[in-house]
Amino acid sequence: MGQFVTEIKSGGGIAVDDTIQVKGYETKAGSRILEGFRPLFSAEAVERLERAGYDIAGKSAVGEFGLDLLGEFAYGAETCDTLRGAAAELVAAGTVKGALCVDLNGTPRRAAALSGVDFLKPTYGTVSRYGVIPCACSGEQIGVAAKTAGGVRELLRVVAGHDPKDGTSLPAETYDYHDGKAAPGMRVGIVKELYGAASDEQKARVTACAERLRGMGVAVDEIALPLADAARTAWNLCLCAETCNNVSRYDGVKFGYRSPDYRNIDELYVNSRTEGLNFLTKFVILYGSDVLSKGRYFTCYDKALKVRRLVAEQVKALFKDYDALLCPACSETEYRPYDIKDAFMTVFAESLFTAVPNLTGIPAMVSGGVQFMADALRDSDLLNLAEALEGGNAS
Amino acid sequence: MMTPEGLTALEQLNELRLTDAERAQTLSIFGDMEAREAALQEIPTDGVEVMVHVMPLTNVLRDDVQKQPFTRESLLEGAPEHTDDSWQVPRLVK
Repeated sequence: MGQFVTEIKSGGGIAVDDTIQVKGYETKAGSRILEGFRPLFSAEAVERLERAGYDIAGKSAVGEFGLDLLGEFAYGAETCDTLRGAAAELVAAGTVKGALCVDLNGTPRRAAALSGVDFLKPTYGTVSRYGVIPCACSGEQIGVAAKTAGGVRELLRVVAGHDPKDGTSLPAETYDYHDGKAAPGMRVGIVKELYGAASDEQKARVTACAERLRGMGVAVDEIALPLADAARTAWNLCLCAETCNNVSRYDGVKFGYRSPDYRNIDELYVNSRTEGLNFLTKFVILYGSDVLSKGRYFTCYDKALKVRRLVAEQVKALFKDYDALLCPACSETEYRPYDIKDAFMTVFAESLFTAVPNLTGIPAMVSGGVQFMADALRDSDLLNLAEALEGGNAS
Repeated sequence: MMTPEGLTALEQLNELRLTDAERAQTLSIFGDMEAREAALQEIPTDGVEVMVHVMPLTNVLRDDVQKQPFTRESLLEGAPEHTDDSWQVPRLVK
């Protein structure tokens, strides 16, 4: 078992990422700045699981605020040789039945692809974000990891549905997730810009998946998404700008870590944040602050929001002809620890494969080591595709 | 282009302090990202509306409803330090 588990009290239940509040558990979002913070309430998704009779097994560690590649910079985590993500490892090992994970910049999708489990980042707004430690609210989303598509579907049906406590929650009270198209007869497009950027091993996974899909009556073509690279830049600009604002609340006064070394309130703020946040988060804050500043706002942040619309329109147009897009979830099949000074650009590079769903709110599912994307609210189609590939019922 | 002076101003604005090595690395990453931003500028967006929210939702306001979501005791549990009935905060004025 990997090094990233923070606190698993019982096996067989549901692990919850450390960026999601669970009453009674320390919830530090992988950061020293929230060390010792025990929330007064659980996230809505957690409460729904508990009301449905599921046990919360414990917290699965994440990198600070979920900003890193695979949880490698979780505060207090031991080092390991291979990075695979805590929640995905717990699911793969059978220690837990499933996991709730926040998809901020693709981390749970990468982890699922590397650990051989399924993960669905549902359509934005279908699962309440109430109780999530926020970073980039406009695109982060709680998703579900499980060993099979059937397991994802089971848990997703419990946690999805309107929550009046979340202002971005969509109005549907429940979602069926059994109402998708049958896999045979679907049209799937391989995104050439993402396929071409992956390693030979990842390309082989996608190619093998495409062959299996063709064998079950799915039409598979290569398609172009010319704005894929722009989507990555736009999402990372939005992420940094929003995170900069959201983590400004951590100042050593109200909760979490407080530096013991200060002579006045300015030193209290500066020392607590300097000692409590890691270099990756500091860079995200500084860059996010810069792109929101006078003189940079219109050329950076405003531009990113306009590109976001263009990407959404380009993706929407593809879904007129295709039911799903197929691509790798990450460039490699194995990741090793690296220095935090390289973290931002490492994550930026890998977010090429994951940024479009975060930027546009569409669902994305990793199964069998590859990633599928579908139009908004077509999550069921992704579950059907994954289930068909797993040899289960295709509709 | 981000300058050392500009970075110092950003540190102060965000209540952070970098080491010299972190400053050098930060300036380097800013340089990398500025190249990415330049590529974004090449995309024509005249007349394109910004997209802040990805789903078509509008705010709907309801009447205020008074509720007691937390008890005083539960709120005190979340305090770093507290007395019997109040939060304690560091003394900041002599």
